[in-house]
Amino acid sequence: MSERTLMGGNIAIGEGALLAGCQAYFGYPITPQNDLLELMARRMPELGRVFLQTESELAAINMVYGAAAVGFRAMTSTSSPGFSLQQEGISYMAGAEMPAVIVNIMRAGPGLGNIGGAQGDYMQCTRGGGHGDYYLITLTPSTVQEMMDLTMLAFELADKYRNPVLVIADGFLGQAMEPVIIREKVKKLPEKKWALTGAKGRPKNLVNSFEMNPIDHPRRIKLLLEKFERMRVHEVRYEGLNLDDADIVLVAYGSAARSAITAMNMARKNKLRVGLVRPITVFPFPYQPLADLAERGCKFVVAEMSGGQMIEDVRMAVGNQNEIKLANSYGGVPLEADTIFEAIDILM
Amino acid sequence: MSWEITISGFGGQGVLFIGRLLADAGFNAGLDTTWLPYYSGEKRGGMCSCFVNISDERIGSIFITHPDVGVAMNPAAMKMLEPTVKTGGLLVVNTSLVKTKSDRHDIKVVYVPTVEAAKELGDESVGNIIALGAVIANAQVTSTSSIIKVLNQMLSKDKKQLELNKAALLKGCEYS
Repeated sequence: MSERTLMGGNIAIGEGALLAGCQAYFGYPITPQNDLLELMARRMPELGRVFLQTESELAAINMVYGAAAVGFRAMTSTSSPGFSLQQEGISYMAGAEMPAVIVNIMRAGPGLGNIGGAQGDYMQCTRGGGHGDYYLITLTPSTVQEMMDLTMLAFELADKYRNPVLVIADGFLGQAMEPVIIREKVKKLPEKKWALTGAKGRPKNLVNSFEMNPIDHPRRIKLLLEKFERMRVHEVRYEGLNLDDADIVLVAYGSAARSAITAMNMARKNKLRVGLVRPITVFPFPYQPLADLAERGCKFVVAEMSGGQMIEDVRMAVGNQNEIKLANSYGGVPLEADTIFEAIDILM
Repeated sequence: MSWEITISGFGGQGVLFIGRLLADAGFNAGLDTTWLPYYSGEKRGGMCSCFVNISDERIGSIFITHPDVGVAMNPAAMKMLEPTVKTGGLLVVNTSLVKTKSDRHDIKVVYVPTVEAAKELGDESVGNIIALGAVIANAQVTSTSSIIKVLNQMLSKDKKQLELNKAALLKGCEYS
């Protein structure tokens, strides 16, 4: 039987990375994800793998770029202000098609903001974040178990698509502890023929994001765009709860989704037909399931810990006919189930 | 069976630790459990809360607004928790720091001089465990033996601390 243990969210990400065969971790401390960095500082050298506390988040992401280029499973973790600093490097990696896992345990912004958990980086995470035409598969765990599982999946998807993959969670979930079933270790890592391993006996490989020739560059971008389209077709993930008879559909991810489940249960107790769509990927976003529910005449409550960012994707999915209400918190404070329930009540 | 517990006080009072003991006891019983620390930048001396959910069903919110059990370790915690404890719930008040009384009649309120009681055991740092004892004696969240089992696991390397903590737990159980 698999081992069951009480574990913190950040720790579960680190353990998931170790199980997935992460060979190199680079990071710079920032609250609320420091226990992840501390875990990697201890565990990576024990396993004979690379841990480096860098001089900045910029250095960390560029070292991840380098480690990915030589074929390592590489990762970094940070929180919102550090994630902003890494955008240049992430854009370069997307341009150079480098697989890696980037973890953003979000805190309240803008600027230095506050160390309380938040979901205010939604737009930055789902729209590329840096310059140029690119997207990152963005996974949104809402339990500590998913922190582990989706980190493991992130490594797999990064290699599958040769693209950086994001795992994002609010700082509350990062620091929360829950029961976790420890997963099986990944036994065999994929071969990477494109990696820079020394060109002895084979044609040289090239890793860069630069194309001097104006004829070649659009061709290269077209390939990237086709790749992002494949992600949209194949990688949409979400959980639906109580949708069969729902009049009102809650849409929430991360710890806001946890509060939404409680609000949904409160509503059901009051004989209100409320369901939940919980995106597990926010890029690609589950537009179609929401569009189908809109077609059926559902109303929507978007519950998020930001000024209202995911609500724009929900609006895009459902069009202009259906009513959408925002239930939110911001500035580093929790989104309580009561707030979501009030929004349900107003819509009824 | 579902318990929502909020413990609140100053950083340094052991708020997170007693939350952790409860969470581990719930986890050991095979129940779904969440433990969430909630504090701002400063730790020692700043405001600190701990949310613990224990349930035999899938737990939704990791945040707690209306606890079944509240533990108010300082005056600010009293102000925050006293109005929010669910009807029929329990409020444990640390009278070493909280000088006000609750005027609610729909909840059980237990007043515990945690520091004075701990001093009687020779170490005022176990005031938090005294408060936890009062929780266990007055609400069916978990049992004394379950908490002692967790203490045995956590403090196995420090026999002196282990015995002190066990004694504090039993002393806390005397308050009702």
